[in-house]
Amino acid sequence: MVHALSEAQRALRPGGRLIDLRPTMRNRRVELDLPGATLFLGEIDSSSTFPDHLAANAALEAALIAGDILLEHETAFAYVTDLDSQADLREIKAGLRRSVMPESIFEKVKRFTADESADFLIRIRREMLIARYRKP
Amino acid sequence: MAIRSDIAGNEKNYLRDMLPADARDVLEIGYGDGRLTRKYAALPRRIVGIDLPEALPRAGAEPLPDNVRLAAASGVRLPFPACRFDCVLFSLSF
Repeated sequence: MVHALSEAQRALRPGGRLIDLRPTMRNRRVELDLPGATLFLGEIDSSSTFPDHLAANAALEAALIAGDILLEHETAFAYVTDLDSQADLREIKAGLRRSVMPESIFEKVKRFTADESADFLIRIRREMLIARYRKP
Repeated sequence: MAIRSDIAGNEKNYLRDMLPADARDVLEIGYGDGRLTRKYAALPRRIVGIDLPEALPRAGAEPLPDNVRLAAASGVRLPFPACRFDCVLFSLSF
């Protein structure tokens, strides 16, 4: 975004739209859904990515101030991932590149699902942001 | 065991709402594994996706619709003429 924004504006026709879709700077929340209760297990720490968010925001802000783009609409929405097991959660953790999932989350899952007959679902909630801009 | 993402379809629905109805040519910057591309591919007439060279095998692992073309290119120097696209989508790109 930071380095490609001016190129994107060049490639866009006048009146064309630029859409920015990305996570917000809120950490993902991990929850455990049990019959009758939802437990908060912890957060996936994505703070190492925050400087990139801020840089992208600054680039967009500069383009807005310069009048190169106009904000038409912006909204946040939930992106939820459901997992059936700890192994699924391990798979998610293995796929993280810059974010960190603390081991304490796994310990809590183990503790609260010790009863093998327990019916549970692990849920990861992420907040996404989508914004649309118009090139004048 | 299973991982199910965005069962509610929020990402797809919000993106569809944001895409201009008359967008014929869309450039997606940062298509990654093509997951998002497949979600909205039925809407525009043509989609060109660019990403770093290492993304291409991942995105091409599953078939893509005929109106999608993927290329290895840098967003810093787009290999397209000016005013080529109706819409540019930054897909989880910073």
